[in-house]
Amino acid sequence: MAAHTLRGLCRPWPGLALLCARFSQRAAAGTEYRSSHSLDKLYPPRQDGTAARTAELQPPTLDIPMARLTVSYSRSSGPGGQNVNKVNSKAEVRFHLASADWIPEAVRQKMALMHRNKINRAGELIVTSEESRYQMRNLAICLEKIRTMVTEAIEKPKVVSKETAQKLIERVEKMNRERLRQKKMHSTIKQSRKADFD
Amino acid sequence: RGALGGSGHERERRAAGPGAAALPAQGLPGQPQAQPRLQKAERRRGRGRYGGRKCGRGHKGERQRGNRPRLGFEGGQTPFYLAIPKYGFNEGHSLRRQYQPLSLQRLQYLIDLGRVDPTQPIDLTQLTNARGVTVQPLKRDYGIQLVEEGADIFAAKVNIEVQRASELAIAAIEKNGGVVTTSFYDPRSLEILCKPVVFFLRGKPIPKRMLPPEDLVRYYTDPRNRGYLADPSKVAEARLELAKKYGYVLPDITKDELFKMLSARKDPRQIFFGLAPGWIVNLADKKILKPTDESLLKYYSS
Repeated sequence: MAAHTLRGLCRPWPGLALLCARFSQRAAAGTEYRSSHSLDKLYPPRQDGTAARTAELQPPTLDIPMARLTVSYSRSSGPGGQNVNKVNSKAEVRFHLASADWIPEAVRQKMALMHRNKINRAGELIVTSEESRYQMRNLAICLEKIRTMVTEAIEKPKVVSKETAQKLIERVEKMNRERLRQKKMHSTIKQSRKADFD
Repeated sequence: RGALGGSGHERERRAAGPGAAALPAQGLPGQPQAQPRLQKAERRRGRGRYGGRKCGRGHKGERQRGNRPRLGFEGGQTPFYLAIPKYGFNEGHSLRRQYQPLSLQRLQYLIDLGRVDPTQPIDLTQLTNARGVTVQPLKRDYGIQLVEEGADIFAAKVNIEVQRASELAIAAIEKNGGVVTTSFYDPRSLEILCKPVVFFLRGKPIPKRMLPPEDLVRYYTDPRNRGYLADPSKVAEARLELAKKYGYVLPDITKDELFKMLSARKDPRQIFFGLAPGWIVNLADKKILKPTDESLLKYYSS
């Protein structure tokens, strides 16, 4: 019964419902020990779909298709003795930028312009990382770098509307006028203290 | 012993015992060979041997006469250990929780040698029985933590339960189709978990595991740490997120033949798989005694 309600919530991963339902199924079977703090009591399966919407509120991170990238590992540089000589921890990710349809066209062109130093003659964008001791982490860093590149290419320069620009100019002028007014007031005070013996 | 012994061969003859001349030197044929008695090391004596004459003490002075000042004394200059001002680096160290590290390399080593069975859920009890880790609950150890050393060579599908786990370690295990859970054991439960037989011999009912203290509740309810008190749906989402971050395809464990084993989880109040709090395990008669009283049942399932 609980399994049906969970499956109805249309989660991204179909197996998820099965995994969640395991606990409630077990309870129903009565073979497992259940305390008052067991997971099915702490997180009862909901009847409505409101619980599933939290993930969609955050901006989705770029989905990088791993099958379209060429990942290769090699030995890192730097000190480290025998370990750095033997362990393949440097990760290199390359993909053909022009044919990467998981990136929007305009963004692709912007990236080709911004990172032209990282693109080889065959048109492949190459990203490397050897910051970490672990291959997996270096790969994650490469992917993060690609995401940063895409984000930077997507962002548009801030367009200041006419009204805002005018407001800013007015503000500056007002500040200057106030400053000069205060200055004149101070000047008259100082003048009044002068004793003219003529 | 030195006073009794004379030269080497005399001592050996004396040790042989009466009637030994009748027995052959190598021992009776067909019987296990007796080990020859090793000569004891010669005591330090002068007279031109190594370790003799001045006996390593040097020549005159405090050194030879055994009157050197205490350790740390610098001849009157304010010693280092007094010149440096105090700072609370170790303050409250006896109240800090410690977690014994378990690297993925060590775990792979144990699995490869067959000391730990990957077809069963891996628990601290399993690891202690396999002598893979040594946990000392009396020394403020609160369990084990998964460390990422060996993440690149790890290739085993396991359902492991630890007390802390780093993100890369979680990623490495889930990449191979395994399941990680972090759970809390209070010191009493930890002692019982590490030494179950000793506990069963006491004849006391299994206690219920206590819930984590305030500062750890946040850790164990966080799906990113795969906490045992976290929402299972959020944990599944976190698995997908981690797969995206580290760039691997998350294997679908529901399609796995070992799915039932991989999804096996303890209740937050349970210490052992298959044994509930309140039960008494009688190892001698191979029986389990369960409480029947209403109030006890209510207490143990709360």
